[in-house]
Amino acid sequence: MNRWATWLWLAFLFSIPVWMTNQYYLYILINAGIFIIAAMSLNLLLGYTGQLSLGHVAFFGIGAYASALVSLGFDLEITDSYTFVFAPRPVWVGLLAGILVAGFFGWLVGRISFKIRGAYFVIVTISFAEVVRLVALNWIDLTEGPMALNNIPPLTLGIPGLWELTFWRKVPNYYLVLVTCILSYVVIARLVRSRLGRAMIALRENEPLAASVGIDVTRSLVLAAVVSAAMAGAAGGLYTHTIRIIDPDVFLFIYTVTMVIMVITGGKGTLAGPIVGGLIFGILPEVLREVASPEVQWVMYGLIMIAIVFFLPDGIVPALASWWRDRFGAGGGGAESQSEPGPGPEASGTVTDTMGERA
Amino acid sequence: MTREIAAGETVLAVENLGVRFGGLVALAGISFEVRAGEVASLIGPNGAGKTTAFNAITGFLTPSEGAIRYRDSRIEGLRPNEIADLGVVRTFQKTSVFAASSVFDNLLIGLHRRGGARLWEILLALPRVRAEEARLRAEAEEILDFVGLSARAGEPGGALPYGEQRLLEVAVALAARPSLLLLDEPVSGMNPVETASFMAMLGKIRARGITILLVEHDMRMVMGVSDRVVVLNQGAIIAEGTPEEIQANPEVIRAYLGHGADRRAVGRA
Ligand SMILES: Nc1ncnc2c1ncn2[C@@H]1O[C@H](COP(=O)(O)OP(=O)(O)O)[C@@H](O)[C@H]1O
Ligand SMILES: [Mg+2]
Repeated sequence: MNRWATWLWLAFLFSIPVWMTNQYYLYILINAGIFIIAAMSLNLLLGYTGQLSLGHVAFFGIGAYASALVSLGFDLEITDSYTFVFAPRPVWVGLLAGILVAGFFGWLVGRISFKIRGAYFVIVTISFAEVVRLVALNWIDLTEGPMALNNIPPLTLGIPGLWELTFWRKVPNYYLVLVTCILSYVVIARLVRSRLGRAMIALRENEPLAASVGIDVTRSLVLAAVVSAAMAGAAGGLYTHTIRIIDPDVFLFIYTVTMVIMVITGGKGTLAGPIVGGLIFGILPEVLREVASPEVQWVMYGLIMIAIVFFLPDGIVPALASWWRDRFGAGGGGAESQSEPGPGPEASGTVTDTMGERA
Repeated sequence: MTREIAAGETVLAVENLGVRFGGLVALAGISFEVRAGEVASLIGPNGAGKTTAFNAITGFLTPSEGAIRYRDSRIEGLRPNEIADLGVVRTFQKTSVFAASSVFDNLLIGLHRRGGARLWEILLALPRVRAEEARLRAEAEEILDFVGLSARAGEPGGALPYGEQRLLEVAVALAARPSLLLLDEPVSGMNPVETASFMAMLGKIRARGITILLVEHDMRMVMGVSDRVVVLNQGAIIAEGTPEEIQANPEVIRAYLGHGADRRAVGRA
C-alpha cells in the first residue's frame, strides 16, 4: 500500500505540467520546489541533530554564486602583471562546483562552531551568512557586487553534436527541480534511517548518553552540516540557473527565516515536514500577492505562522500523522515506529508512518 | 582487544586520581583497581565523589591529576566515545534514555559501534548496508530479550515505567558491547522485586565475561553481588576489601553513621 501511494504521488507530480498550462503557476511550483530542497537540507540540522543554523541561506547563496561563476567564467587580477582567467564551464559542472563549495563551507562552519554549541552556534551561523553577504557585496571584481551577475546560462543537457536540451522554459525546469527534490528526499530518508542518521538523532535527544555508547559527537554533527550545506548549495545552484540573475540580496536573513518557518510549521525532524511547510509558505505569498497589499501580506503571513505554531506546536505533519493514527490506524502499522523489528526498513508501515514519522 | 585478558588480571587501574571543582576537592588522589571478570563496588555517602570518579573514568571530565589505565591504554583525557571504543561503557545516575525514540531504536543507537556503514554506501543503499541493518536488528532483539523488554520494543523509551527505563539504560549500554560496564546506582527507585531480578541479571551479565564496576546505595545488593568493595568518603578511599571485611570495618561504620540517612542501609546489610 505504501509503495502504491508513493507511485501515485510521483505520477501526480510528474503529470502536473501536462494539465497545468498556466506558466505562472509552474513558476510558483518551481520556486516552491527550490525552497523545499533548501528546507529539507535545513531540516537535517534543525530537525534531526537539533542544531539551529540561522545562517543557512549562506550555503544556498554560496552554491548559487559558485555555480553562476563557474558557468559564466571570471577574471581575477592577482597582481598587476598576472590575471587569473577562469574560462566558462558547462552548467552542470557549475552545479556540481556549487554543491562541493557549499559542502566545504558546511564542513568549515561545522568544525569551528560545533565545538561551541547552542546559542554560540546560532551566532556563528548568523555572522557567517552576514560575512558572506558582505563579501558578495564588496568583492566587485568577482561578483559584480550590487550590480548582480546577469545572463547566467540555463542548464543544458545532452550529447554533443547529437542531442541537446536547454532548460530555458518552465516545463523542463519544473522537471529538473522535481527530480532534484526527489533525490534530496531520498538522500535524507536513507541517511536518517541509517546508523549515521540514528547517531544524529541520538545527539538531539541525549548527547551524553550518545557519547557514552561510542558516538563521536563532533564527527556526526560535522557530517550533518556537510550534507546539509551541500544540499542547500544544490538548491542555490538550481535557483541561479532558473532565475538567471543573482545579487547579494540572496543572503538576506529573511530567507533563512523563511526556511526555518517552513521546517517548523511542516514538522521538524519529519521527512515530509519541509515539503508541506515549503509548499504552504512557497505558494502562500503568491496567493496573497493577488489579494492583499505587501504590508497586509506580511501581517497575514505572520498570523498564519503563529496560528500553526500555536495550535500544532510539533508542526502539521506530526499532527496529521497522529490524527490519522487515532482515526484509522489503532492496531495497524501506523502506530509503530519505523524501526519496529520484523520487516525490513523499506517494507513496513503506511503512508503516514513513513512520511510523518518523527524519527 | 589486542590480547586475551586472564580472569583476575587488573583491567582498570585508577592511580592517584584527583578532581577539583574550583576550590572544592571532589576526589583527593584516589587509587584503586578493577580486575577482569569481577564485580567491584564503589560505595560511600552522598557527595563522596563516586559519580565524579565515573565521570573521570569515562571521559566526561578531565582529571586535575593522576592517571587512569584501561588494559594497555592511558584513558584519562580521552573523549567519552574514544573510551567507549576501548570497551568502557557507563550508565548514568539520573535516568537517561533516548526518550522520544522507541525502545527498539534506543537499542539500535546503542549498537552504533557494532556497525560500520559509510555515508556513500548508505546513500547508494548497497546490499551490505541492508545486511548490516538486518544484523543490528537481530542483535537489538537479542539484547531486548536478555533484559526482558521485548514486549516494549515499539514504545517510546520515555514512556516506560521507571524500573523498565533503568533496564533500558543497561540494555543500551550492553548494546555498545562493553568489556567493562560501569553502573551508577542502577536500582535506585526500583522496588524490591525489581531489585531482586536486577541482581539476577547482573549475574547473567557477568557470566557473559563483562567486568562490572558498581556504584550503589542498596547495601543488601552491594554485599550480595560484589567480589570487592571500595569505600569512598569525602573524596578519599577509607577502606577496600571483601564485603565481609567492609561490613566489619569500624571506619566504614563511622563514615556511614555520620550520615544518618544511610545508617539503616548499613544495618540492613
Ligand atoms: N560539575 C560539578 N561542579 C561542581 N561540583 C561538583 C560537580 N559534580 C560534582 N560536584 C561536587 O563533587 C562532590 C562529589 O559529587 P558526586 O561525585 O556526585 O558524589 P556521589 O556520586 O558520591 O554522591 C559533591 O560535593 C558535589 O557537589
Ligand atoms: Mg552519584
